[in-house]
Amino acid sequence: MAVRVTSDLWPRVERLLGRIERPSRYVDGEWGVLRRPDAAYRVALMYPDTYEVGMANQALQVLAARLATIDDVATERVFLPWVDMAGLMREEGVPLFTLESCMPVAAVDLLGVTLSNELTYTNVLEALDLAGIPLRASDRGEAHPLVIGGGPSAHNPEPMAPFFDAILVGDGEDAVLEIVAAHRVSKARGASREETVRALASIEGVYVPSLYAPGPGGRMVASDPAPPRVRRRVLADLDAYPAPACPVVPYADVVHDRATVEVLRGCSRGCRFCQAGMVYRPVRERPADSIVRDVVEGLACTGFEEVSLTSLSTADHSQLESVLRRLVGRLEGTGTAISVPSLRVDSFTVPLARLLGDGRKSGLTFAPEAGSQRLRDAINKNITEEEIVTAVDQAFTAGWRRVKLYFMIGLPTETDDDVRAIGALVERVFSAAREATPKAERGGLRVAVSVSTFVPKAHTPFQWDAQLPFDEVRRRQALLRDAMPRRGVELSFHDAESSLLEAVLARGGREVADGIEAAWRAGARFDAWSEQFELRRWIEAFDSVGIDARIAAARPYGFDEPLPWAHIDSGLSEAFLRLERDRTEVATTTPDCTFDDCTGCGVCPGLGVDIAIAEGERRG
Amino acid sequence: MAEGFRLRVCFRKSGRLRYLSHLETGRAWERAARRARLPYAVSQGFTPRMRLAFGPALPVGTAGEREYLDITLTRFVPVAEVERALRAAIVSDLGPVACGYVSPAEGSLASRLTIAVYEIEIEGGSPQQEIERSLVALMGTGRLEVEHKGKQKVFDLATALPKEPEVTSSEGRITVRMWVRMGDQGSLRPEVFITAAVGTGRVASITRTDLLIEDDQGWRRPL
Repeated sequence: MAVRVTSDLWPRVERLLGRIERPSRYVDGEWGVLRRPDAAYRVALMYPDTYEVGMANQALQVLAARLATIDDVATERVFLPWVDMAGLMREEGVPLFTLESCMPVAAVDLLGVTLSNELTYTNVLEALDLAGIPLRASDRGEAHPLVIGGGPSAHNPEPMAPFFDAILVGDGEDAVLEIVAAHRVSKARGASREETVRALASIEGVYVPSLYAPGPGGRMVASDPAPPRVRRRVLADLDAYPAPACPVVPYADVVHDRATVEVLRGCSRGCRFCQAGMVYRPVRERPADSIVRDVVEGLACTGFEEVSLTSLSTADHSQLESVLRRLVGRLEGTGTAISVPSLRVDSFTVPLARLLGDGRKSGLTFAPEAGSQRLRDAINKNITEEEIVTAVDQAFTAGWRRVKLYFMIGLPTETDDDVRAIGALVERVFSAAREATPKAERGGLRVAVSVSTFVPKAHTPFQWDAQLPFDEVRRRQALLRDAMPRRGVELSFHDAESSLLEAVLARGGREVADGIEAAWRAGARFDAWSEQFELRRWIEAFDSVGIDARIAAARPYGFDEPLPWAHIDSGLSEAFLRLERDRTEVATTTPDCTFDDCTGCGVCPGLGVDIAIAEGERRG
Repeated sequence: MAEGFRLRVCFRKSGRLRYLSHLETGRAWERAARRARLPYAVSQGFTPRMRLAFGPALPVGTAGEREYLDITLTRFVPVAEVERALRAAIVSDLGPVACGYVSPAEGSLASRLTIAVYEIEIEGGSPQQEIERSLVALMGTGRLEVEHKGKQKVFDLATALPKEPEVTSSEGRITVRMWVRMGDQGSLRPEVFITAAVGTGRVASITRTDLLIEDDQGWRRPL
């Protein structure tokens, strides 16, 4: 048996803690930490952002719980040290460390990295560099950990492909165990790194970038034994995987500081801009009994004062009302709140409003996305203005005093009238909220409006579309500002500069990787943090590798062009995506297959799965 | 609100967890009380909260051997049972040292605890006598001017430090024990006093070993 190098870095880390902000990020020691000092195989799971952001990630909790089922495997958490700590670590020669055993990340067997969004890409490079692991997979030796990515952004893996030995596309619950098993077999055989990744390539959902190269016409071509297209991994039965009952309970004030139970996966409402709604199909609900069990067990084990029932569209769960009724009964008098993430206005009902209102009242969030009915139809949002106003009226009648509305500008086919219509809709929402609020309480009434810039994403009907040129985004933002009611509304814009970068990174090919590396070398990291983000640095970095970022963001793809992610099979048929794009032009909607007939997206037959509704075959 | 049973918990903040902030420690204990399934009282109102109150905050990086919190329970639970439940519901670096019930009429921990005892470990290799001489010399001046966040503040040392600091040495380690008075005017931070006496970069670690109530009978522990 190999002797393990697990030098404890803690004494060296501790010396830095008096000189930095928020030392609790680096100390470990939380409730619920699982330690396996003698494990034969070590996995480090990294969320490439600060502790506060990363600890909120449910996927890492799920994967850690799955890995914990193998007795001799240890899983350790890794987050990216904030700039103050990273600076000191470089000065003092302290490498990136895991939390649980404070060992060098470079000494683990496998480093799993969440690719949750494009703005964390430079953080991945920063972490690899701090760890002393070569950035490019091709430069790594036999002693380096396997670096494996996964997460929503893996659906267009090319911009980050050179930095990973393998990337998992789709659900990780089973795949993570298969990857670890395959790696252990390889190690036992004394297989080379190259042999190991070839073995990984035969696991369903695993993309091994080194086995693909651009062929004639630019399409990525696989070499043996990799499949021509990597089929997205998908779980047929979510209920076979309980929510992690005892996740680590942070001390720090993390982003989502609460227990979470995933109530369903997937959403087939079919919003045409939404990547998650396309690539996590089909809808798989967990039954009410399992949800209630997991909430009660999770709260008992963690002591959290709030539980969130998470999913892409929680109010769509066919048994949500009964789940809430049972939970409200069980949690009465414990000061425990139940929350749900952003709700669809057409699923928000009076009983639901009352049930959610029984806990502590956090704000409500609705996402109309567009101001006019025409544009909402064009993006297949499938909600009416009446439904929006009714939902707000019901919420405020039930006692809510704050509502947040999400909109996007720059959606395909958007006109100036559509932008102005956002202002008119907000005006109506504000009036409805005011009407429903007793006079004495109107002072506390808040309508927050958050407006982001449309970023076209892979595997959506808008994957061929361009992002608006930057100056045009600015013009439409100004137009919207003028159209907003003056009183009682808090308007905020998501930074259009970072949206431009997202567009380049979300739809780029492998050539973009050089730009990412150049930007990191120029100092880019924590790009999702507005105080750290500098577009100029990125523009110059892309320039240096021959890419004009502004042109790349604003460039449409032709229907006949090979898309950079064409070798990733999300299960959606291209014909479906094209049809959906065509319907956008004529503002025709497509129904949700969990309420209505099959829309022929291709996922169920293509991936061999089916919709799973807790109560019957269809919802509603 | 005086109804309910006021449980006082003495706990430690040690090891790596001395790097937690006061807020983080509070959150940890609130969650521990939930995990321990104590019959905690919840405040009335729009956002019901557990009724939990802490003693004076411990600075980030300073360990504590006997820190305190009060939690209101809706029914009586024997002390041994509470201790057992809490011990099983929190990591040992934050673990309970002792528990007991106090009168609901008693003043808050924050107002009653006015004396803090610290142990400061000194590094830098000076002999014990030299450290002692420096401390005595500084005490002899009677006052200490301190700049904190750009503000000048003068401490009368006889009031701020109600007992002469003591220096001990064991196995080559020099430890200073200090008794610091806490009040509305703020308290003298031990590392500020030590630095003023023996120079910068000499404090290896600080532990608050006790928190005391000062009344007519003298000093006593709150439990």
